Amino acid sequence: MTTFIDYLLGGISNGAIIALMALALVLIWRSTRVVNFAQVGQAMFTTFIALTVRDITGSWLIALLVAIAAGAILGLIVHLLVIRPVARADASGAIIATFGVLIALQALAGMIWGGDSRGFPTPVSNVGIEFAGRTWPFSLYDVVVIIVTAVLVIGLTLMFTRTNLGLSMRASAFNPEVARLSGVRVSQMLAFGWVLAGMVGAVAGILVAPVSTVSPNSFDILLVFAFTAAVIGGLDSLVGAVALGVVTGLVISLISGFSDSSNAPVVALVLLALNLLLKPDGVFGHHKARSV
Amino acid sequence: MLTVTDLSVSYGPVRALNSVSLTVPPGKVTAVIGANGAGKSTLMRTLAGLVKPTSGTIALNGEMLSGLKPEEIVRRGVALVPEGRSTIPDLTVEENLRLGGLWRSKPRRTASEDRVFKLFPVLSERRHLRADTLSGGERQQLAIGRALMAGPQCLLLDEPSLGLAPKIVTQILELVSQLARETNLAVLLVEQNAVTALRVAHTGIVLHLGEIVKVGSADDIRSDEELRHAYLGY
Repeated sequence: MTTFIDYLLGGISNGAIIALMALALVLIWRSTRVVNFAQVGQAMFTTFIALTVRDITGSWLIALLVAIAAGAILGLIVHLLVIRPVARADASGAIIATFGVLIALQALAGMIWGGDSRGFPTPVSNVGIEFAGRTWPFSLYDVVVIIVTAVLVIGLTLMFTRTNLGLSMRASAFNPEVARLSGVRVSQMLAFGWVLAGMVGAVAGILVAPVSTVSPNSFDILLVFAFTAAVIGGLDSLVGAVALGVVTGLVISLISGFSDSSNAPVVALVLLALNLLLKPDGVFGHHKARSV
Repeated sequence: MLTVTDLSVSYGPVRALNSVSLTVPPGKVTAVIGANGAGKSTLMRTLAGLVKPTSGTIALNGEMLSGLKPEEIVRRGVALVPEGRSTIPDLTVEENLRLGGLWRSKPRRTASEDRVFKLFPVLSERRHLRADTLSGGERQQLAIGRALMAGPQCLLLDEPSLGLAPKIVTQILELVSQLARETNLAVLLVEQNAVTALRVAHTGIVLHLGEIVKVGSADDIRSDEELRHAYLGY
């Protein structure tokens, strides 16, 4: 029983990070109807930038803020230079184009920072907390991850439900034509969706970096889990992405603990396939969401 | 006053509108009637900026609107209520309304919202419900309300009778016509249901295969039997 609880505890912060990356995928799907496979590439790139900033300034917080800014800019660049011109011709072409962006970013990162894995420091201790006579698989850093994730999710929820900007974004996602007829500059809202996703992805990158190390390809596995969580959550649902992200983290931790960590991606893909067979609109999705 | 001059629209080789000229004066309802495929919806979508005209101009009180995007046209005072259910079902009644005038200053928005709630009290009662819980008639009121939130000088109504009971349509259209008189709003109404449209309209325009074949007072058109037989099928 204690091992079961240990594995669950060990999965929470990983689940939070998957939730953030899934959130980034959903933000873009809602605005542009494109699954952005380059999201982890963008996060990898901004994390490398953050690592450089961390080396120079010695501050984790400054590195995080720079990464968020870089994520916003990179998201905008990818949207304006690649996705918008391609999507105008063909929506499925845009999805293929995101793979191109992923490969290009990985190549570019390799040229700038080299192909070796590099460690990323944590701002607080990443050693298990000692409590009641034993060491738990839960560190101060896990607490930081959970708090940062919670703040982002709550902030985004408030923005979407309470502000005019959020209303404009939701309307643009649900019905672009009615939004335009209401005076919403929909193309700006789409671009802002990419900016937001870039920022959220950048945070996910920083948070996962100490655990996964940083190399041009080290975040690829995160894409598999985040994509699974986003799709099972319904692709249109921010709540679904977060909930399924956390659940995915827990499931991975249990599977890795009781069998072998190399089984986790396989299980994720099996769950994804089952979901698409049994409940293709996702657990939190609207039925009409996929009719497009 | 909305002024349309020599407006032509083509979808590839198909000409949907051919040199259409008309004016929509303030304070009155102008009705464009015609059979299915006459080009009525194309006219409305072109005026709102959703369809690009091949030639011709659209102006509101002398300001040129043709060539602008829909989101800019509505900000300049021409609001379209498109055909069908043009509310967003996933948003609440209040959010649908707010959406209509987000770019405007807070006091102006509040004033418009008060006016809409006074005009359609049922929307005030249902303000916190999702739009998809409303009946067809209530949803049409919400769609018109959303357009009014833009504080337009010209309101374009595309086929509001679609799928609604005649009694409800008449009620809604009479409210719109009253609003036009009281607030000096220019209303352009497009309808396949000529009887209903001519009942509330001041001027009637008959559109046939993309061309205007008759302009006259609503009474004249209603009593012109030959015209009715030839173009309106009743």
